[in-house]
Amino acid sequence: MLAFVRRNQILLTSFLCVLFSLYILSAAARGHLRGDPVGPLLLTLMRPLQIGTQLTMAKLKELQQGYLNLMRIASENERLKGRITELEAEKNRLLEVEATNRRFQELLDFRSQLPSGSVTAAVIGNSASTWFRTFVLDKGGADGVRRGMAVVSPAGVVGQVVAVTSRSSKILLIADPNSGVDVVDQRSRARGIVSGSLDSGPIMKYAKRSEEIQEGDRLITSGLDGIFPKGLLVGTVAKVRKKTFGLFQYVEVALAVDPYRLEEVLVVSAEAAPGAR
Amino acid sequence: MKLFLLFLLVGLGMVLVQTTFLHLLPLGPIVPDLILVLCVYWGLNHPTVGAVLGCFLLGYSVDVFSSPVLGLNAFAMSLVFLAVYLSSRSIWIHNPFMSAAVVFAASWIKGAALILVGTLFLAADGLWIGVLKYIFLEALVAAVLAPWAFSLLRRGQKMLEEVTVPL
Repeated sequence: MLAFVRRNQILLTSFLCVLFSLYILSAAARGHLRGDPVGPLLLTLMRPLQIGTQLTMAKLKELQQGYLNLMRIASENERLKGRITELEAEKNRLLEVEATNRRFQELLDFRSQLPSGSVTAAVIGNSASTWFRTFVLDKGGADGVRRGMAVVSPAGVVGQVVAVTSRSSKILLIADPNSGVDVVDQRSRARGIVSGSLDSGPIMKYAKRSEEIQEGDRLITSGLDGIFPKGLLVGTVAKVRKKTFGLFQYVEVALAVDPYRLEEVLVVSAEAAPGAR
Repeated sequence: MKLFLLFLLVGLGMVLVQTTFLHLLPLGPIVPDLILVLCVYWGLNHPTVGAVLGCFLLGYSVDVFSSPVLGLNAFAMSLVFLAVYLSSRSIWIHNPFMSAAVVFAASWIKGAALILVGTLFLAADGLWIGVLKYIFLEALVAAVLAPWAFSLLRRGQKMLEEVTVPL
């Protein structure tokens, strides 16, 4: 028996790992997984590295921008080139400061419309997988972030918190196929659920075929899912296709927020709903 | 043990790179799966109990950072390792094209595993429609990267073997 185990130890361990991962998956899918010791530790360990990498990337982008600026003025003489380089670098820095200030101002204005309890957070990491649309924020349980809270930006709904550690949190974006936001068409009041799809981009599911949904209609949160405050913009209707049969129509949605261009977001809870805006 | 720690650290570094730098590449939503390449290399060249656990842990790390539920990638990576291990005796990586081909096939196994468990456990309506295109593109990118990644891992391993720890 022992000899058999020794001879096939890799095979047996592999099977055990496969079974164990299925067990974790099953427990996590049913929400029964409690006390995961590895996840929070990994997120905590990676947090400073992710912040450092993001800063490096920002510096690299700045360098790249500086280089492009230099290329544009290459034909000018050396004295002017030096002077322009200095001015360009200063200008870039000031533009960045101004852009950051503008973003913060927008966030502050938006936050003032929400009741207290919302948390401002910065994006420090994106999804490591093609299959899922998630990102990591630099704020966690210690800052008041809780699982299930909504993540929004002044432009609209971003996603919801699916995992929290003390100093960071993982966000499932509304563009993810596993995501779902209860929405209402602002013009026709038709209801449905906006969800991501790997195939065609976000779609509005369960919109009845009898509803008069038109391209360009604004879709806002209904507040009925208990996650997203009512009245936040989710996106606009990009394409409507009605078949001659079936209960529902096919509606493609252009999301209001491009999550990969976001740098700061607000985390709010549905209990702190502001009502229709 | 040294090799296990090296590959685990390299793997965690790859997770970091996948969550940050690789999003700068103009590949749309496709994120090059370096973890998969590492697991294939590990399974082909150093199939040990440590390697099995390492692949499981790396898949779990990807889950921690990306998946809506834990266990999806842990399952997929464990399965990829198992498949590579079972076929390792009949595979001889003698040129870069072979490593690319093996990684391409392993990426399809991972994709199939994700579809299977996703359908069983997430049960999201219409979730996996049009997914073949993504599996193909992801497999293609991973296959292109595989020869370089294999070469780097071989070099790292060689350097580690040359390091002697004074007792």
